Amino acid sequence: MKLKKYLTLTRAGIIEALQFRLSAFIMVVGNLSYLIVIYFLWKAIYASSGTDIVNGMTFNDTLIYLVLATALFGFMEMYTVWEMGRAIQSGKVVLDLIKPMDIRRYLFWCYSGNFVVNFFFTFLPTFIAVCIITNGAVPVGLNLVYFAVSVVMAILINYSIDFFTGTICVYTESIWGVNIMKQVIVLLLSGATIPLAFFPDGLRTVVEKLPFASIYNAPLTLLLDSSPNSDTLLETLGMQFIWCVSMTMISRLFWKVSLRKITVNGG
Amino acid sequence: MANIIEIKNITKEFKVLNRREGLIGSFKDLFSRNYKTVRAVDNISMTVGQGEIVGYLGPNGAGKSTTIKMMTGVLEPTSGEILVGGNVPYKNRTKNAQEIGVVFGQRSQLWWALPLIESFKILRDIYQIPEQNYKSMLELYQSLVDIEPLLHKPVRQMSLGQRTLSDILAAFLHDPKIVFLDEPTIGLDVSMKSKIRTLIHALNKEKNTTVILTTHDMGDVDALCRRIVIIDKGKMLYDNDIEHLKGFFGSYRTLKIRVDGDLKEQSGVIQGELPDMKVSADDEWISVLVDEDKAKVIDVLGQIQKSRSVRDMKLEEISTEEVIRKIYEEGVK
Repeated sequence: MKLKKYLTLTRAGIIEALQFRLSAFIMVVGNLSYLIVIYFLWKAIYASSGTDIVNGMTFNDTLIYLVLATALFGFMEMYTVWEMGRAIQSGKVVLDLIKPMDIRRYLFWCYSGNFVVNFFFTFLPTFIAVCIITNGAVPVGLNLVYFAVSVVMAILINYSIDFFTGTICVYTESIWGVNIMKQVIVLLLSGATIPLAFFPDGLRTVVEKLPFASIYNAPLTLLLDSSPNSDTLLETLGMQFIWCVSMTMISRLFWKVSLRKITVNGG
Repeated sequence: MANIIEIKNITKEFKVLNRREGLIGSFKDLFSRNYKTVRAVDNISMTVGQGEIVGYLGPNGAGKSTTIKMMTGVLEPTSGEILVGGNVPYKNRTKNAQEIGVVFGQRSQLWWALPLIESFKILRDIYQIPEQNYKSMLELYQSLVDIEPLLHKPVRQMSLGQRTLSDILAAFLHDPKIVFLDEPTIGLDVSMKSKIRTLIHALNKEKNTTVILTTHDMGDVDALCRRIVIIDKGKMLYDNDIEHLKGFFGSYRTLKIRVDGDLKEQSGVIQGELPDMKVSADDEWISVLVDEDKAKVIDVLGQIQKSRSVRDMKLEEISTEEVIRKIYEEGVK
């Protein structure tokens, strides 16, 4: 009964997402054009470097990584910041607050249907396509299980960061700048646009410790590694777990404090 | 009758930044700490019993929505006590949410892209409404309005009237103890208005739900509320039965007559004969405002008839709308 309360929102989200067929189609086209840009960009980078392996990655490695990162982005990106910003600006947040459910959970589950739809419509097809085209470059085995666990935590961390950023809108009353800033930071530092291997050593050690790396770098590394040693595995998942818990707590706390601003000062 | 809402001396203040004019002023505002305090609700107390329909009135910006937001738990009062169904709303927001239903006339809580029935199912699950209660509620709805065609229509394709109707049904779905309706009939045509009034009335009767209704449409008030509360500038002006309201400014009635000759001229003459009353004229009628505490309408008519023949006459009761307007404009003396 308790779970039904949330799953009903997932169900509604799926139905809702399926209503907008055209938008799904356009997203696929958009992603494809992005991938074409990436292909030529990295081809040029590798051509100018003069070697086949840059920072321990071949052109194929890099491309597979980035294609899957894009697919993962299409699947995990939540647009929570937009939703929250608009709700706060328009005052619709009042309606969300008087639902008999914690707003953080409510918004997450309202969106959760999109995960299901995007998983089957963007991530899975891309993944299968990559597997077939590269003919076995992507290992299929236990790594898929680690990947699945890692993605769940990545989603939770990503949501916490989104929710945190969305909460900032309580103070700024504007969304655009805040959202762009968040997106640039997350995409860059998570390894979604450039693999972390390409970062300078000093920067990389720092970035690897930040929560962002847990969103894209962690699951992708686990996915592409056919036989991870148990240390790396434990370290990656452990780091994700720590960020998962702490970001959840931080975003909750920040909302709790900011909610006072709404309830005390009318928002 | 148990009290479902108890409000004691609540006050709500907002801090507002004093904005300056012009480009330079706007730059200065970036660093300004120059706040002023606005008192939106000022020391209001009231109690509402289970099953009452209370009209909550006041001009724009009077503090109605602020009070409602405090009762729903979205806003925290600056001072004073508030109990809704035994809960302090802003402390137990989630628990309070289970006991109340809300319709903000300009906003919809329904799922935009989905057929209405899906919104109902979602609400059923998140409010954890038992299946048989849900079913009997839908049957009740069906008996009151023809919802069958609405159920399968996506909300975004609905007319404003249909959407408002659906929103009201959604607010009552989990059988809350109290429903707050914030301007539910705004922008609707007369037939839809009357449909919605009938619906609210029936649901209140059937489920003994307390309804707090804010509106600017006196038709809503006349049709639904026995008791009204009026606030302005955050202060409570009136809290009593609607019948009392009409006698609030003395028992005025307007006697309208038509006589031979120029009406304007005649009204001047009549004014001279009846110095205590207010006489005015338009193109069709001469109006005499009679305070029934001082003189009977029939005597006034007799007096007028002594010196001229009255061709036609009618009597107008002062309407709720006029009384309310008088209160808004002049306050309570």
